[in-house]
Amino acid sequence: MKTVLVIGGGVTGLKASSELAEMGYNVALVEKEDYLGGQVAKHKYYKLAPDLRLAGEVIDPVIKAVESNSNIKVYKHSHVVAVSGNAPEFKAKIKNSKGESEESFGAIVVATGFDHFDPTVKQEYGYGRFKDVVTNAEVEEMLNPNGSTKGQLKRPSDGKTPKKIAIFQCVGSRDRQVGNPYCCRVGCVVSTKQAIEIKEKYPDSEVYVYYMDMRMFGRGWEELYGKAMEDYEIIFTRGRGAEVTLKNQQLSLRAEETIMDRPIQHSVDMIILAAGMAAGEGTIDAAKVLGIKQNDYGFLSPKDDFLSPNESSKPGIFIAGADKGPMDIENCIVEGAAVAAKVAGSLKN
Amino acid sequence: MAENTDKMVIDGVELTGIWKEFLPSRILYEDVTTEFLDEVKKLPGGSTIVRCYQCGTCSGGCTLPDFVDKFNPRRFIDLVRRGHYDILVNENKDLVWKCVSCQRCTHRCPKGVNTQEVVRAIAKFLEDKKVFGKLTNDEAFDEVFMEEVIEDGRIDEVKIVKDFYSKTGRLKDMMSADQISLGFKMLTSGRIKLFGGKIKDWKKVSKRLKEEIQ
Ligand SMILES: Cc1cc2nc3c(=O)[nH]c(=O)nc-3n(C[C@H](O)[C@H](O)[C@H](O)COP(=O)(O)OP(=O)(O)OC[C@H]3O[C@@H](n4cnc5c(N)ncnc54)[C@H](O)[C@@H]3O)c2cc1C
Ligand code: SF4
Ligand code: SF4
Ligand code: SF4
Repeated sequence: MKTVLVIGGGVTGLKASSELAEMGYNVALVEKEDYLGGQVAKHKYYKLAPDLRLAGEVIDPVIKAVESNSNIKVYKHSHVVAVSGNAPEFKAKIKNSKGESEESFGAIVVATGFDHFDPTVKQEYGYGRFKDVVTNAEVEEMLNPNGSTKGQLKRPSDGKTPKKIAIFQCVGSRDRQVGNPYCCRVGCVVSTKQAIEIKEKYPDSEVYVYYMDMRMFGRGWEELYGKAMEDYEIIFTRGRGAEVTLKNQQLSLRAEETIMDRPIQHSVDMIILAAGMAAGEGTIDAAKVLGIKQNDYGFLSPKDDFLSPNESSKPGIFIAGADKGPMDIENCIVEGAAVAAKVAGSLKN
Repeated sequence: MAENTDKMVIDGVELTGIWKEFLPSRILYEDVTTEFLDEVKKLPGGSTIVRCYQCGTCSGGCTLPDFVDKFNPRRFIDLVRRGHYDILVNENKDLVWKCVSCQRCTHRCPKGVNTQEVVRAIAKFLEDKKVFGKLTNDEAFDEVFMEEVIEDGRIDEVKIVKDFYSKTGRLKDMMSADQISLGFKMLTSGRIKLFGGKIKDWKKVSKRLKEEIQ
């Protein structure tokens, strides 16, 4: 039986690994960090959209399925530094602090995911300049009882609970200025979810979402959006955030309320930037090592988006999950399973 | 534009006479035409208007609304795009040209619209349509100033004052006693000169400038 190399231990890579192992293949799962679970674990996501289900309920079983399967060998804190050969005879060098080893593989799955867009470059939003301008990923971690603030939403500047919170949508997405004209595909539902979580925990708070359009196309997303307005009185304003300044020591934002045709100045205690998904360095690295094609934004290009969505530009190398572009967890799990089936099919002949 | 219906019936009751005056129809007769968009697109700086997706980043951060009520670059673009020429002229013609070219909009537009240039193109479009009619003093002065710079490469103080009064149809005012005495004082104190010098070979530059502006 051939061994499959899976690069990336996020939800996609984990699902692909356990599916392959269940089919009887040996799997080597290489993860650069010292934990499994990808971005979900890194930023300690607490509750998942759209059901507000604990992230652990989803990610823990996926991790457990990998750790408890003896067909899978997990290499944490490891990198694939070189790959040679062709399908179905690849040789890959895996490197970590203990040293380097070379092994043979029949196929390779790339599931290296994404990185959160770094909003520092959007200078007008003041991230990095004003402490109380934070990212959605940072809020995920704050809302988690096991996170840095033990589940409390706190202003980084003074540790106080903010009363008025604004959320800016599409930060680093749908934006030619930063070279990311695509939609992040999760920002809308994640912000809606976070707004609800905040209102549940702090019913006296006011949450304002500044958006261009709310893209609620996933299962249960539109319903969650309705709930946010009807049950939680979250205010959605149709206008993209224009700038953040300090007015009398308070954060103040400018945007246009486009439905009223008027610019507004709005003083708040905290601003959450719904930062989107960018191609991660890990993905760009992997593409280089493997010599597979990337698209204009650095994400991995399928051989054919419609007909072979999980095949890379090179035979025997497969791709899945958020390294192909923004994707939510549900679809990542589907992708993980789909790529496993594709790999199994390719190794049979 | 909203139109008053001749007959207004609400819940089966026909309103006549004075009631109708109180209840003008709010319906906007959307008669989308891309005719004006096509025109603006072709003007210098106008081409990126087609990229706008009406997000409001430009208008949200624009310098002007603090000083000029209702100045709204996003809306100017929208009105041109949808062919609402009447609204553009009636409600916005006195605003469009006030843009101070600070470029905040252009630097921030997430869609790659050169917003400042587009606003200028819309102002030019309205100017070409002759909607400004009689010029304001500011506008008249700007025009005279530019004409003189292009023609002579410099400003001749006496000439510009004369042209300004002439352009605004007030040559008579210029010859009033107090204006003449002011002029005399400025002349004797050396604040203004009767004849400005010429710039060598300016005619060639002037010709190029005019071609460029055309
Ligand atoms: C703020 C925020 C909140 C979100 N909340 C939700 C939600 O509520 N519901 C939902 O459905 N989705 C949500 N998402 C989306 C979710 O994060 C992604 O769908 C999911 O993390 C993608 O999984 P992945 O395995 O493809 O990639 P990742 O999670 O990015 O995992 C990739 C893994 O690969 C590793 N890796 C990368 N490069 C290499 C390399 N070269 N070598 C070895 N290892 C490497 C990384 O360290 C990482 O562990 C959210 C996204 C954001 C931005
Ligand atoms: S998902 Fe929402 S926040 Fe993200 S880019 Fe698309 S519209 Fe913007
Ligand atoms: S910022 Fe750009 S895309 Fe947004 S409304 Fe202004 S011109 Fe249009
Ligand atoms: S360039 Fe003009 S339209 Fe743009 S922000 Fe400045 S004043 Fe407003």
